[in-house]
Amino acid sequence: MMQTVQKESTQIETRLRTQSTFNRIFSTLGVYGVAVLFLLLGIILQISGVINNFLTAQNMLNIIDAVSLLGIVAMGMAFVTYSGHYADLSVPTTMALTGIVCVEMLKYGFFPAVIISFIVGLLVGGINAVAIGKFKANPIIWTLAVNYVSMGVIRLVWVNKQIYPDLKASSVKASVLFDNIYRFRFFDKIALPMVFLIILVIVCHFILQRTKFGVQLKLTGSARNVAKFSGVNVERVISIAFLLCAATATLGGLTVTSLSKVGAWYNGAGYDFKAVTAVVIGGMTLAGGRGSIIGVLGGVLIIGLMNNIMTLLGIGTFSQDMIRGAIFILVVGLNAKSLRSQGRDDA
Amino acid sequence: MSDTVDAVAIGLAFEMKSVTKAFPGTVAVDMVDFDVQAGEVHALVGENGAGKSTLMKIMAGSFNDYTGDVFINTKEVSLHSPSAAKKNGIEMIYQELSLALPISIAENVLVGRLPKKSFFLDKEKMNMETLRCLKMVGLDYLDPMTPVEEISQHEAQLVEIAKALGNNPCILVMDEPTSALSQEEVERLFEIIRNLKKRGLAIVYISHHLPEIFAIADRVTVLRDGKKIATKNVSEVTREEVVQMMVGRSVNEFYKHEAHTQKEETLRVENLSRFGFFHDINFRAYKGEIVGICGLSGAGRSELARVLVGLDDSDEGKLYLHDKELRIKNMAHALENGIAYLTENRKTEGLALRLDVRENVLAGLIPRHTKYGVYNQRLGTPLLNTLIKELSIIPPDPNRTVNNLSGGNQQKVLLAKWMACDTKVLILDEPTRGVDIGAKMTIHQSIERLAKEGVTIMLISSDLPELVALSNRVLIMRQGHFIREMQKSECTEESVLLAANGEGGE
Repeated sequence: MMQTVQKESTQIETRLRTQSTFNRIFSTLGVYGVAVLFLLLGIILQISGVINNFLTAQNMLNIIDAVSLLGIVAMGMAFVTYSGHYADLSVPTTMALTGIVCVEMLKYGFFPAVIISFIVGLLVGGINAVAIGKFKANPIIWTLAVNYVSMGVIRLVWVNKQIYPDLKASSVKASVLFDNIYRFRFFDKIALPMVFLIILVIVCHFILQRTKFGVQLKLTGSARNVAKFSGVNVERVISIAFLLCAATATLGGLTVTSLSKVGAWYNGAGYDFKAVTAVVIGGMTLAGGRGSIIGVLGGVLIIGLMNNIMTLLGIGTFSQDMIRGAIFILVVGLNAKSLRSQGRDDA
Repeated sequence: MSDTVDAVAIGLAFEMKSVTKAFPGTVAVDMVDFDVQAGEVHALVGENGAGKSTLMKIMAGSFNDYTGDVFINTKEVSLHSPSAAKKNGIEMIYQELSLALPISIAENVLVGRLPKKSFFLDKEKMNMETLRCLKMVGLDYLDPMTPVEEISQHEAQLVEIAKALGNNPCILVMDEPTSALSQEEVERLFEIIRNLKKRGLAIVYISHHLPEIFAIADRVTVLRDGKKIATKNVSEVTREEVVQMMVGRSVNEFYKHEAHTQKEETLRVENLSRFGFFHDINFRAYKGEIVGICGLSGAGRSELARVLVGLDDSDEGKLYLHDKELRIKNMAHALENGIAYLTENRKTEGLALRLDVRENVLAGLIPRHTKYGVYNQRLGTPLLNTLIKELSIIPPDPNRTVNNLSGGNQQKVLLAKWMACDTKVLILDEPTRGVDIGAKMTIHQSIERLAKEGVTIMLISSDLPELVALSNRVLIMRQGHFIREMQKSECTEESVLLAANGEGGE
């Protein structure tokens, strides 16, 4: 019997040593390595003359702006993925809805409008939180349904209208303030969304690593039942994750609406999938409880660089979607394989 | 059907010689010889962990790495896959139903061999064949097209047997087939078994309800610690002798647990019921006491524990902690009040396998190590190191992922998690299930230390030596009731097992 015990422990040691190299590549550092590779790819393409606008100040700013917007949304999404609930698919409509509401409410001034938008966003998040946290609804199906219902509300109330901040605002000041959510630059350089992102990264990282909620979220995401048996209020923890996602979706919604200077139903389109892809590339597995905010930021950078290069290469929107989808499938597949080799068959 | 009766060869139907199966950490079945004659019911008994279910799984072809020889009708065969077992005429009937509820009886019974007419199912043939199978278990009054969910539990159990018989087996293995049946239904089942016997089927009957074995079996084989102790004709042994063989070893080999004399009540439960699981439970537990709870599977032990820590709601009754009534809302609330529960399901409810030792051990302490919402993991480090040392968790590395520890060490981590929590009442549900003897000793020592320090331990265990050796008192639970309380002086493995079987006098 001693022999079998001995044998077991040597087997474990070998398994530890041979743990898939994939984990190492997609560790936090590895993600930034891949981001640097994309940067190099852009530079090489520029030098070889395939594209010619990559290494310009304007393009770098474009990348940073796009990354900021996606990053804001991905930060909240990361909490949902980390909690083991895959993704919040109601993000696109939450973005559109809160943007429209904000424009509509500009007639009461800028700050009241922003506050009302956040209330509306958190309301949508609250519905998700109750249904998924408390009543254990399937997160994918439920948030997909909520996405359609809120889309229906938008179409019902605003029909297909696009509403313009300068026409709705009570004063020029309110409309200018709204336009500046996206456009304001500190010292003429540092854009406001980028500041939002930096603050969010710091705050979210702290929340995930150092707070009671973060530790309990990790336990819940890793093993929901174990968390419950350890005295964690899993319903509350999951609810908070969805509320955080709704909050960043709202911030993203206001930013994207400010960017386009129009409140419209299509404003958040595509951000659900882009955000989840960034989160997953950033090393958070769909199984939950793994990865970090810093990793997700790396994932966002990769997506941003990739989108930019693809656009400069003249690849069409649909082809870009296809490529992003393929990459998502590849990463999730590799991740699943790597987890399975460690004796877990969900990813 | 009559032709099968005549075709039976009387003689050795099934024989296993020196069969061994080892798992990491334990040898579950150790050089066991076992045989069944045609037309015989051979009972297989033993305590939990004795190797019954492993032996059964070997017969079912679940393992491809057992050693030893297996003969069917004196021909050597290898049972390295479930299909090999089926092909050799071995059919299993498991404790849990394996029928698909929404589909019809016919499709369940004939699964894998549905008759076809070119591309389509041959409904007529399906009906006939199903009725033939159902007749063998006396269910031919049922319409084969009825969905399984519309028939009663005991009918479903019989359909399961019909399904097995439909494959014309020569050996039928039944694992606790009566666990969901009433007395009357058990009688009907026995009648069917006797009929099958007459038709020359060899039947392996696994159960830990001794009265059933004496009612139906011809021979009985006793397993203990993976080894065969004896095979006896049922007519030549008494129940006491069988229990003696199951339990075996001299009691209290290792343990000298002092009886605590403190009589400070910590926990009092009055008329606690959760309908359908347990009823009218009353007991008191004192400071520094280890209270054993003994019962067969399904007696309601774990269900009681789950209610005590607020995982499930009670329907009636009150709970007092230090003489103060307590309404436990959820597990977090129970923990705040110092009541903790070590689950029997280590891998699904006990440990987050992907997290490391530190995160698992300190999981119950998250609220206590939080100040202003900020969690400080370092606060737990001294405690963590002490526990790793006390329980000799190997390797003593707090950053090791729990998944990468052996079973015994995982169980130690689980115990450490609750030892860390500074509890007043600790409910341990099978604290040493599936661990090797070394880890078991360590865990027992720690349990005794906790008791000595004044923690009230409620020990739910199917490991009789453990239960008898550690407990100051044993409460016997049967079919949802506490039927008896035994003091340490009257507890022997035999008396406890007999009492759990509803025998042995008051």
